[in-house]
Parts: sequence; C-alpha cells; structure tokens
Amino acid sequence: MNSRENLKRTLNHQQPEHLVLDFGGTGVTGIHCLAVKNLREHYGLEERPVKVVEPFQMLGEVDEELREAMGIDVIGAYGKGNLIGFANNECGWKPFTSNWGQKLLVPEDFNYTMAEDGGLLIYPQGDMSVPPSARMPKTGYFFDAIIRQEPIDEEKLNTEDNLEEFGEIDNETIDYWERTINQLSASGKGIIASLGGTALGDIALVPGMNLKHPKGIRDVAEWYMSTVMRPDYIHSIFEKQTEIAIENLKKIYQRIGNKIDAAFICGTDFGTQDSTFCSPDQFRELYLPYYRRVNDWMHQNTEWKSFKHSCGAVESFMPLFIEAGIDIINPVQINAKGMDPRHLKNTYGKDLVFWGGGVDTQKMLSFGTPAEVKKQVLDNCEIFAKDGGFVFTTVHNIQANVPIENLAAMMDAVKEFNGKS
Amino acid sequence: MEKILERLAYCVEFGKINLASPYPPDMRGQDGADELTKKALEMGVPPTEVLNKGLVIGMGKVGVKFRENKVFVPQVLMSAKAMSFGMAHLKPFFNDGSVVRKGKIIIGTVEGDLHDIGKNLVSMMVEGSGWEVIDLGTDVKAEKFVESVKANPGAIVCLSALLTTTMVNMEKIGKAVKEAVPGTIVAVGGAPVTKDFSNKIGMDIYSSDPQGLIDLLAKLN
Repeated sequence: MNSRENLKRTLNHQQPEHLVLDFGGTGVTGIHCLAVKNLREHYGLEERPVKVVEPFQMLGEVDEELREAMGIDVIGAYGKGNLIGFANNECGWKPFTSNWGQKLLVPEDFNYTMAEDGGLLIYPQGDMSVPPSARMPKTGYFFDAIIRQEPIDEEKLNTEDNLEEFGEIDNETIDYWERTINQLSASGKGIIASLGGTALGDIALVPGMNLKHPKGIRDVAEWYMSTVMRPDYIHSIFEKQTEIAIENLKKIYQRIGNKIDAAFICGTDFGTQDSTFCSPDQFRELYLPYYRRVNDWMHQNTEWKSFKHSCGAVESFMPLFIEAGIDIINPVQINAKGMDPRHLKNTYGKDLVFWGGGVDTQKMLSFGTPAEVKKQVLDNCEIFAKDGGFVFTTVHNIQANVPIENLAAMMDAVKEFNGKS
Repeated sequence: MEKILERLAYCVEFGKINLASPYPPDMRGQDGADELTKKALEMGVPPTEVLNKGLVIGMGKVGVKFRENKVFVPQVLMSAKAMSFGMAHLKPFFNDGSVVRKGKIIIGTVEGDLHDIGKNLVSMMVEGSGWEVIDLGTDVKAEKFVESVKANPGAIVCLSALLTTTMVNMEKIGKAVKEAVPGTIVAVGGAPVTKDFSNKIGMDIYSSDPQGLIDLLAKLN
C-alpha cells in the first residue's frame, strides 16, 4: 500500500498500514526554513540554501530528499502566488540571507527594504512603488501584516472592496493547477491542495497583504468588530465569496478530477488559548451556512475531503464543524482548554479526522526534553491513531527555535509506533 | 446624576459608542458613551465620578463576562471603543491632575513580536479599570522599556508575547528593567506563557486573562 492509499484509508476512518505523516503539505503543517536546515543536517542531506516556499511564515521547502528521509506521506499543492501576492512556484529564485544569518533562496519578486530598526519590509506583488504590506522584526523569524486601513465611511462601504482578492479564476491559473497536480500525483504520495478562495474572514488574510491598495475593512480589530457591528456587510462578502469560490472549484475539478485527496478550505482561527473568538451561536449564524455550501458541493461532486484549520480551544465548536461538513480538523491544539486528546478522539473521532495534535508545539516541542517529546508523541499516537482518522503532524508549523534533538525524538517515536502497529 | 452614570456604564458594557453607531441594534438612535460622557461633565458630574462610576463600572462588567465566556473578542473591542470615546472627554482632567488614576502600567509586545491583539485587549481593559496605560506598541526592545520605567517611576511593566520564539525575550527585558530600576513589578502574559514560565524567569505577575491581571493589580493598590 503506497502513501496515497494509506492516506485514503486514514481519511475514510480505516486503519492504514502505517501512520500517515504530513510535514510541508500546507501552510499550517509546514516547517520553518531554519528547522528545515537543521533537519537536513540531521539526516545527512546535502548542505544547500533552503527554498522559502511560503515567505509570510518563512516556511522551508520539504523536498523529495527530506520527504523520503522523514517518511512523509503527503505532498502539498500550493497556489502559484503566495500571500504577499507574487509568484512562489514556476518562478525564478534568488539568494537571500536572513537576519539570523541563514542562506536561503527566495522567489525573484521577494522584494524588500530594510526598516530603520533593522527589520524587513516586503512589498505586495513585489511592487516597491507602493507601501510595504508586511514586516519582519529584526529579531523575528517571519512576517506579520502591516495594517493599511483607509478611513471607513459607513455610507460608502462596498463589499466589492473586500472581494478584490476573491476574483474569478483565469485560464492560466487553471492550467497551473492541472500541471501541478498531474506532476505531484505521479509521486504516489497523498495530495492536499490549497486551492484558495474559500477562507472566511481568515485574520491572516483580511489585511490583504497581496494587494497594492487594499480597500474595505482591513484592520484586524475593525474586522472583528464588524462581525457584530456590520453583520450584513460580512454576510454579503461571504455570500459572494462562496459563490465565486464554488465556480472556481468547479473549473479546477474539471481539470484535476479526484487526483487530490484533501482541499485546505479555511484557516480562520476560532479559538484562543482558553476560549473562542465568537459564540457558537454566532458561528452557526455567520459562518456555518457558507462552509456548508462549499463542503456540500465538494461532497456531492468530488472525492475530496474538506480540511479546516483552527487554532485554539475549539472543542465546543467540533459539533458545528461536523455540521458544516468539515471532514478534517487541524491543528488540534491539544494544550488549549478542553482539547484533551482522549476526549476529542472518543467524542468526535468517528466524524472528524485529526490532522495534527501529534505533539504540542507551544511548550513540549520547543521547551521539553527529548524523552518528554518522545513520550507525548507515543501517547498521542496511541490515542488518535486507533481505527484511522489521524494524520501525524505537529500542532501547527515547526518553529525556528525547536531543538533538533526534540525533532529527532519526535521522529524516533513515530518510527517506534509504526514498528509496532 | 446617578442615572446618567448608569447609562454611561451600560453603553460601555454593551459597546454603544455614540449616537451614530448602529451597534447594539436595540440601542440604535440613542446616545452612546461619547455623548453621555460629555453630557455628564456638562451637568457638573465630577470627572472622577464619570470615570469610576461610569466608564470603569461598564468595563469591569465586560471583563468579568469575557472571563466567563459570556462575551467574546468582538464585543470586548466594541466596549473598549465606546470607553475610549468617553475617555477622550476626560483627557483634560487627566492632564491637569484633577482625576487621579490607580497608577501607571507600561505595556508592549516583546522584541521580535508584532502580534498585538492580546496586548491591545489587556491594554484597553486595564485602562478601563482605572489605570493609566502607556502603550509602547509592538516589537519593543529592553532599552525602550527601561527608558519608559525611568520616566515613570513606580509604573508596572506588562510584557506580552504570542510566539514561542519571542517569549524567551521576556526574561531579558524583565531582568533589564529590574536591574535598571530595582523593585519594578513586571507582569507577563500571552498565549504560550504560563505561571511556571513566569516563575522560572523571575517575573512577578502572570495572568491567563485580562480580568485576572486587573484583579492582581487591584491587590497591589
């Protein structure tokens, strides 16, 4: 049974031959470029500059060599463009040395200037004639959006302004997806695709880092307030966005068919460390109908599974995610309030695939000992992997500061678990 | 007089900013915190009472409801905005010293960290509990905290971090502050931060939520 068949069994809640692993499949199950370098060294792979496949979070490329060394079963299909609006695939690459001294390769339109305090400013679509859209602090390891909020005139608010980034897909992009998926599907690995357009109010996307002159509601706090203050405005964005997204998915599906196994539909975080960003009632009213529409289309027309990311303490939202037609939940933040692995598996494991939750990244992976990491990984695999429905990955991306000893302990534990299962 | 302060507290509690604000829908067309603060002062209500019996009461209720998961981030932001409109009318009284607050806190996200939603929530709620807040913003280096503590003797320093890669800077900053101005109280918070971590790096106060910090600050007074 190859990786893809194992992933399919896993997603269908059947026991795979071995535990399925994802690192690098999405922008929320990735590895920071510094950790990629450390892993390459650990596995004795050729020393060379790591390619940055997602510059916002500075995620490094998990290439075929590293995939094989780690035993990874899933490949990610990423869009041609990135969150900053320039091509990150089928593009030229140039050398770049980070503030922490790592030699990297970045896309040719990764255009930046140095801020007065030594931080980096990066430009939307690589266009340095407009204000920068994201900033990396001098001692930081990735970017964060620069808020470019124009004054809001209630009378002139127009939903089209918040839909600029959600347009109809063009032929060139459809061709890109067909080429990319065909190429990846030859690998025998499972495929998760970040097709785009279906994220509802993802606060990482709201500031419009890929837009030269973002209009509408772009300030993070203003967006959150708008969900209660201007619900009609938000509804009309979601309504139109969903309509466009489904039409785009139809066009992509016509070309790629069922060559992908899962589609990453939304990264909107609904959880904080110990609560949620909104009430269950508000989720049901404002978000659920649109998720449902996308997922219904997907389930009625494709074999794709719907992958939803939400950090935080979202145990109380799990029944709602299920009702919304979500098949896979990530990152399964097991150290947040109420997110006990055994409780989650016992209560929601028949309906949801847990793609994540393999090891806590806030405390354990960064600050635990190798022995503690190994124990937690084995414990979590024991709980989550029963009867399928579990893709092993860390809770969110592997961060820059994770000690390589802990990553090695994590991989040893997975190997040990697979050996006995 | 009591009635207008009650109404003001109610506006803050439910996020009614001003007359033009459409939120909450059942208060459409009514005065908000902006107009009521102005009117209360015009009626001769002492500014200290406008603060403590109006704005602070409203914000206090929101803080408790937030901790109990009865309201969420959007509602707290609405309340904080309503409060800030009221606070703007009190500014002259803060400046001339006729309204005395509970003390000063200096707050910022630590060096390397740009994530400020949590810091802003804490900042607004602490201000709404009657403290003067000096917000140094994001990605704040130790030197800037030290400079601010020296300029504001007795101020309490609050350090915020969202990331595992930046929370380690709390120790450096906290120690620099304590070394420069011995006796300075330093509080830490943020998603990955815990009481154990706070103790380990020798900080004085940790809270997992804004209201918890307000309660701990109250014990200092």
